[in-house]
Amino acid sequence: MSITTILAVLFMVGGLFFFTTATIGILRFPDFFTRLHATGKGDTLAVLLFLVGFCFYEGFTLTGLKIIFIAVFMFLVQPTATHALSRAGFRCGVKPWMKKEDKK
Amino acid sequence: MIQISDDIIIKTIARVLVPFIQLFALYVIMHGHHSPGGGFQGGVILGASLVLLVITHGLKDTQKRISEKSVAIFSSLGVLVYGGIGVLCVILLGNFLDYSKLAILLNVPLAQARSLGILGVEIGVGLAVMAVMFSIFCNIATGGRQAEEDDD
Amino acid sequence: MDTFFVVIGMGLCILVLFVLYRVVYGPGVFNRVAALSAIGNKTLIILLIMGFAYHRVEMFIDISMVYALLNFIGTIAASKYLEMEGSTL
Repeated sequence: MSITTILAVLFMVGGLFFFTTATIGILRFPDFFTRLHATGKGDTLAVLLFLVGFCFYEGFTLTGLKIIFIAVFMFLVQPTATHALSRAGFRCGVKPWMKKEDKK
Repeated sequence: MIQISDDIIIKTIARVLVPFIQLFALYVIMHGHHSPGGGFQGGVILGASLVLLVITHGLKDTQKRISEKSVAIFSSLGVLVYGGIGVLCVILLGNFLDYSKLAILLNVPLAQARSLGILGVEIGVGLAVMAVMFSIFCNIATGGRQAEEDDD
Repeated sequence: MDTFFVVIGMGLCILVLFVLYRVVYGPGVFNRVAALSAIGNKTLIILLIMGFAYHRVEMFIDISMVYALLNFIGTIAASKYLEMEGSTL
């Protein structure tokens, strides 16, 4: 078990943890915009951690370079898609969730 | 009529990404016999890049870059390349798409002539698929109405 | 190392089943589109893990890149369509 394999396993377990928290978020949050927070941020970070872990496992070959390309592409593209969805939701009048005021 | 998107983030990212998507599509066409890919898959990715341009920038601005006339020329050119290679093999006294007869014309070994023949056919297929995908998308988007200079 | 990859892949499949609940029961179409984007992310990683488990990574890299691309274009197209209320595309 070389050092690169241990590093790859650590990154992959971290990515799995963030996927789990993003899934719990998309199930339990009360509103569309908050669910978009969970999946837009948590999923992107988890995918990036997984891809870095794969790159450590694979070494400095052509395949590792292609994995870096996929990582750069996901880093550019995921926030853009989240932004487009939230704009569409706002334009169509989806109401955000407000905390109920306590009337004392 | 697909409206132009008035958001600067989506327009900028789409403009930055489209050349790299097309480069990747050419890579998929060329590496058809080493990895999953080939003519049809590369043509679909090329068509998807043009659809991305239409979605973010509107139909009118995209048709300034690719008019309907050049789309028709591309599709016919693709079929011409495919059929032309087949007929060329028939002229050189073989069967239709019998690439081994191309070795007489190109002065290369037999296996390499077959490989180059398949590559040419894949390029033709990719061009035709890209043009047809874009043309079908534009026809569905405008509801079948004819060219835009009939309006205003 | 192979069993480690298989275990992580199965964990991701269970997470996909949980997000499927939001696809089916999400009130309204926006929740469904967001959950579909989340499923697409997890599917991308499952594809790569399958490539590593079968020791044939070179085949699965190109497929996963194309899948990331198509997921992005699908989300942008769906949001564009939903933004124009009442107009024909």
